Amino acid sequence: MTIGAWFRRLLYLLPGYRYADDSDMEAELRSLAEIAAADGARLGNLTLAREDARAVWGWNWLAGLAGAMRYALRVLRKERSFTAVAVLSLALGIGANAAIFSIVDALLLRSLPVRDPQSLVEIGLGSNSYFTYTRFAENSGQVFTGTLARHADRRDVDFGSDLGGSPVPANLEMVTGSYFPVLGVLALYGRTIGPDDDNRSHPSAVAVISYGLWTRRYGSDPSAIGRTIRVQRAVFTIIGVAPPEFFGVVVGSAPDVWLPLSTFSNVYPGRNWLDDRSLNFLEILGRLRTGITAPQAAAALTPIFVQIQLERGVRANPRNSAVKLFAAAKGMSQLRYWLSKPLHMVFGMVALVLLLACVNLMNLQAARVAERRKEFAVRLAIGASRPRVARQVFTESVLLALAGGAAGLLVCRPIAETLLALASSGDPVSLYLSFNSSLLAFVAAVSIAAAILFGVAPAWRSTRGEILPAIQQGSGAAKASPVGRLFSRGLACFQVALSLVLVAGAILFAASLYQLTHLDTGLDRSRLLVLDVDPVEAGYQGEPISALNRRLAARLAALPGVESTSFSFNGVYSGRNGDSDIAPEGYRSGNPDDLHAWRDEVGPHYFSTIGARLIAGRDFDERDDRTAPKVMIVNEEFARFFFAGHNPVGRTVSLQEEWPGSKIARSIIAVVKDMRSGSDIREKPERYFYVPAFQTKPAPFSTRFLVRTAGDPRAQFSAVREAVRVEDPALAIGSVDTAVDLLNRTLNTDRLIADFSAAFGVLALLLAAIGIYGLLSYDVARRTGEVGIRMALGARPAQIVRMVLSEVGLLAVIGVVGGGIAALAMGKLVSGLIFGLRPGDPAVLASAALVLICVALSAGFWPARRAARLDPMVALRRE
Amino acid sequence: MAQRTELVQGTLDMLVLRTLCLGPLHGYGIAKSIQQVSNESLQIEFGSLYPALRRLELKGWISAKWETSERNRRARFYRLTAAGRKQLVREQSKWQNFIDAIASVMRSKTARGEL
Repeated sequence: MTIGAWFRRLLYLLPGYRYADDSDMEAELRSLAEIAAADGARLGNLTLAREDARAVWGWNWLAGLAGAMRYALRVLRKERSFTAVAVLSLALGIGANAAIFSIVDALLLRSLPVRDPQSLVEIGLGSNSYFTYTRFAENSGQVFTGTLARHADRRDVDFGSDLGGSPVPANLEMVTGSYFPVLGVLALYGRTIGPDDDNRSHPSAVAVISYGLWTRRYGSDPSAIGRTIRVQRAVFTIIGVAPPEFFGVVVGSAPDVWLPLSTFSNVYPGRNWLDDRSLNFLEILGRLRTGITAPQAAAALTPIFVQIQLERGVRANPRNSAVKLFAAAKGMSQLRYWLSKPLHMVFGMVALVLLLACVNLMNLQAARVAERRKEFAVRLAIGASRPRVARQVFTESVLLALAGGAAGLLVCRPIAETLLALASSGDPVSLYLSFNSSLLAFVAAVSIAAAILFGVAPAWRSTRGEILPAIQQGSGAAKASPVGRLFSRGLACFQVALSLVLVAGAILFAASLYQLTHLDTGLDRSRLLVLDVDPVEAGYQGEPISALNRRLAARLAALPGVESTSFSFNGVYSGRNGDSDIAPEGYRSGNPDDLHAWRDEVGPHYFSTIGARLIAGRDFDERDDRTAPKVMIVNEEFARFFFAGHNPVGRTVSLQEEWPGSKIARSIIAVVKDMRSGSDIREKPERYFYVPAFQTKPAPFSTRFLVRTAGDPRAQFSAVREAVRVEDPALAIGSVDTAVDLLNRTLNTDRLIADFSAAFGVLALLLAAIGIYGLLSYDVARRTGEVGIRMALGARPAQIVRMVLSEVGLLAVIGVVGGGIAALAMGKLVSGLIFGLRPGDPAVLASAALVLICVALSAGFWPARRAARLDPMVALRRE
Repeated sequence: MAQRTELVQGTLDMLVLRTLCLGPLHGYGIAKSIQQVSNESLQIEFGSLYPALRRLELKGWISAKWETSERNRRARFYRLTAAGRKQLVREQSKWQNFIDAIASVMRSKTARGEL
């Protein structure tokens, strides 16, 4: 077709042009008819000729569609309550799906907004020393075009230091000078941190701020560059603003401020971590040279790594010295690690809820189609084709779905933000949730899929059946075809089955959370307060830390309402860990990995304070200091592993200690019952030993005080803070929490899943109840005559109720059985997410089934009672 | 009355173009002309002629203008455009090839001998 023809076609879309053309055509045909008549001839059906001539333009389908849309809009506007219910349920269903999709997209699918993210790799998982980074940076040129290292933390930052403001917590990322150049990220304003800024001998006190911080704190004022911020006592000058989409390299935690790594000891006074070869605190990333694969690079880096470990004095173990490289194209993320499976889980649940909503709508649409049989029959009788009638019905569904989708887009952002806020009580999670094309495409696809799901079957059914009987019948008493009844009953069963899966999931996760929150972790967490105090930043080093801890413990213990106090390095229910290579007396093993156990340094009366149970021996007390015999307490697992379960009290274990700097032997004075006191109480307790804090060199970290209170530990928060302030006002208090809160914080993911599955379970029950109620109301209305006859023949109201309810019961039982089978089949999906019970737990399934049958029967009760209250005479007259 | 012949599929456009080659005509005139020239053996359905005219007009092969006929009636007269003339040449040669091919098959004596 030529361009001219296309242009004329497009012109035809203009209403003015179309009307002019149409009247032209009419005039022409009239004139031709006159000419022909004068000639004694007839031209035949001119209206048809005109219709066909119009079709030449090729826009007939569009005109038909516009007509169908107009009509559908009119119908939907007339049936306001139906439209409102449909759009609202679709908006919630599609909105929830879109919300989860946008989180999944940001967290799991999207690549980092940096240059060529595919060639970025992370060296190992976890942290490395600064020494390791520098050696890698110097020696990896063959496989990497660049390396970078980072350390992220949340610190108090004073953004108005030139205005005399007060510090607020902010996300800091300390980065090497190579960070921005290697990532290929340019400043939006000003410049980024470069290699010259990150100079060990002359570190420059400069900072790059995030776009978010720049808009929040500085009102997007370009003059923010040149202003200063203060971290601790160090002042940094802002030199640039990062681009808006750049959130660092960790998905889920966006830095507010980037600082050169060389300024580390200014940000952390007293912590000379850059020179400490034993401290792992940096994540290292490399950018692969073109043509080099990650395995090739890993192979080339392994000898370098072995050399580094040797120089660091780390035990060389051939099994774990092979370098592993991990794709970092999508960034590194703790959040991804612990949210990935729950997110997929929640995604599955919202998809099921949407499916349920669609099934409800399908039933509603099918009922409306049945009501409108007469209308459709008339349209068919006057010449509308069956596809045309079906298109009309389907157009209504598509309009509903699109309206639902549009409303869903509006609510998806608030839903996503609520979800993230729930997922991150404590540390704020910041994900760059953008309103991007993939979200729009997802919502469009889901809306269309929903329309097809709930629109096709009713549209198809609208064209079935004989025309004549439909016209002859009264509008109300349309008799359902057996196929139609089976279809709607099948849908009801399907709804019950879907709801059962969701309800069983909700009960399962709630039970699992209950098990976790009531788990005996080996210590008494009620009335226990945990206080984190950092002596290092206040200037304490070495032995004075021990003295300070002793004084603080005494001060805290002297507080009224405090029963006892102790302290430890790890604290309880936190992620802090330490381990040691050990040689228990009389234990031989060929595997060097066996000669290893987790450790903690604890204060006097630690075990009695936290309420741990000593099986044999005594607790540490004040006597266990530097001059006393070196002792340790081990857990049951330790005793089982190294001493085959024999009582190890009195046996010795030798280990390397920084004090006195050589191997020493410690004798075991007690065995403590296994505790699940780490950051994941699901983990089986591992072999663990405890040494008196006063017999070790204090590590340059904060100390965690454990305070056993007589009453509510919260009542002691301010007293505890005050006690620390009185001891030394310079001491920074990291946090004050109850042990119960600390434990609950480790269960955030479980609580998230339990909350969401409970919400979705209730929603599913509601949708199923509405579905069953609607089905039965419609059914009872159609069977008025039958009920009337039964009652005229002497059936009592109770019998009618029983008759209707037994049908409901049958539907529910079939659905419950189907759903139960589906739930069992899906058990594997949740196996890693539940604790203390199996996915197919019979009690869980039975209670879910009971709940559903009860809900189904009560949803069916009202229509049943309505049927029973019919006046038989009225019912029969209507027939 | 002459024997009626069914129009071969797709030839209507060509016939219209050929008819307009001789001079402008209105819609009824075209139908009548084809009938007369074919000695009444080709009956043109107006119901299919009229959409065909619109199609040819859309493609730019014919153009139309309101004019007054010799009997002083106003009608829309169609005439061939330059593009339409080219199209007619194309269709004519295609048609010629077609009937030559059919004819050579029908005239062949080698296949199975005389019928």
